[in-house]
Amino acid sequence: MQLRNRMVPWLWLAPAGALMIPFFIIPILITARNSVYVDDPMGFLKPAFTLANYAKVLTDSYYIGVFGNTLLAAFVVSLITLVISYPFAWLLARSGGSSRGFLLWVVYLPIYVSVIMRVFGWMVIIADSGIINQMLMKIGLSEQPIRMINEVSGMTLGMIHRYLPLMILPLMTSLQKVDDSILRASANLGGGQWFTWWRVVMPISLPGAVAGTQLVFAGVLSDYVIPTLMGSTKFQLLAPAIYYEATTNAAWALSGAMATIVIVAVAAFLIIANLILKRIAPWASI
Amino acid sequence: MAPRSSHLSPGLPSRFFAAFIVLFLLGPIFIAGVVAFSSGNRLEFPIPGFSLRWFATALAKPQYIEGLTASIIIGVGNAIFATIAGTGAALALNHYRFRGRSLIQALVMLPIAMPAIVLGLGLLFTLAMYDMQPGLLAGVFGHAVLGVPYVVAMVTAALSNYDRSVERASMNLGVGPVMTFFKITLPLIRGGVIAGAVSAFLISFDNISLSLFITRGDTLPLRLMQQLLAYADPSVAAISTLLVLVSLGFMLLLLPLALRKR
Repeated sequence: MQLRNRMVPWLWLAPAGALMIPFFIIPILITARNSVYVDDPMGFLKPAFTLANYAKVLTDSYYIGVFGNTLLAAFVVSLITLVISYPFAWLLARSGGSSRGFLLWVVYLPIYVSVIMRVFGWMVIIADSGIINQMLMKIGLSEQPIRMINEVSGMTLGMIHRYLPLMILPLMTSLQKVDDSILRASANLGGGQWFTWWRVVMPISLPGAVAGTQLVFAGVLSDYVIPTLMGSTKFQLLAPAIYYEATTNAAWALSGAMATIVIVAVAAFLIIANLILKRIAPWASI
Repeated sequence: MAPRSSHLSPGLPSRFFAAFIVLFLLGPIFIAGVVAFSSGNRLEFPIPGFSLRWFATALAKPQYIEGLTASIIIGVGNAIFATIAGTGAALALNHYRFRGRSLIQALVMLPIAMPAIVLGLGLLFTLAMYDMQPGLLAGVFGHAVLGVPYVVAMVTAALSNYDRSVERASMNLGVGPVMTFFKITLPLIRGGVIAGAVSAFLISFDNISLSLFITRGDTLPLRLMQQLLAYADPSVAAISTLLVLVSLGFMLLLLPLALRKR
């Protein structure tokens, strides 16, 4: 009976194991293994133990550029969405009734609509003959259309639109924990608005901000659609680059090294975010 | 009590800000929806006239219909596997304390943080080891991995106000564990299970980064992406708008089922 009881949770976990061991854990491990193998010129993968792939990816200016662009894009998009989300999530957390229902619907709708449809909408808005350029030229602010589509600016806009809801929702959840009595307590004890924000609201909302940033960061890192449809060929991002190396070049070892670096970057980000949380908000570490 | 009102009712600047964000989030979707009804040939707004011709064009395109079929097969298959795996995992993690529990918990949530492109690369290489080809079946299993964390999260939320004593009462009355699960546990957490399955379907239906590697490029989002890359015409907006309308209809049908009183 004792043994049987100990087996029960593992029986419940069996379907998840049957799915995730062959289709999640093994592929990730194989990718890491491939990264120390060698690509031969025929497109076959040869067993070896070498760090040459990492050396190439981390010293060649093309790959350094790809990593740099991707980290920059992830950082900029995370920062902008975070700054926009704070006041909006605050409003959302403090509002009630029908306005709250409407705002929540507005945040959920883009998640629900396909990313292709959203990109399509942006194409109509920012194209050379699009709505923004029509308006700029009509009021005489610009002679020629300003190029935004297939430029870094348009791509950033598309990414902010794609990931903004993923930042707002966790922030809203944590901002809901700030209730009126805490704010009144701070005000009654002589805390000004800035003091209250910095020492009361911000620490309580930090876990939500970290969770949202993680979602946005991981999203930008593996985004293939927006760079392909809205980005510039002069500003290569990681996901299209990995896809190209693996499928067109059949460079399994090299793309494996790039992917492993991504895993390490994501893990490092998670650990650093967790350390910061422990330091600033020890009650809320993940 | 002066500060109270300033915290509760948003002032004019924040109302403007909120309106701006609402416009930013909804604008592109609304415009894509309008252009779907355009009578013109180009992506222009305002549209030159109203017409349903792009809907007819979209529905007559074999690559869209094939893509839709592939996406629905993968979406439904993925939802079934992800829901079974995720519900089991959520029950195990919620009901039992066992060695390695926190590791398993981290592992089932990991697909959210793992960039899909990394998993896709690994899967494309690993499929050959299982004698599998990129295609529908590979798509089903690959997408199911991405769905598991969402199912676990939704079912765990449903289990948080679930009283295990009902389950124990059923077992004490001599009902077997399997019957207890289907007769007692499942009906009580049905809302969470349905929400998880719907999330898994929606995530799969919109996925591109993973499908790129593990399907034959034949899911609807991939087909629409190819169309946008080659020649952007309003048929892309038409099929997307149609899907939003159809899925809204499904939501309205499913909502009462999820909210039904037990």
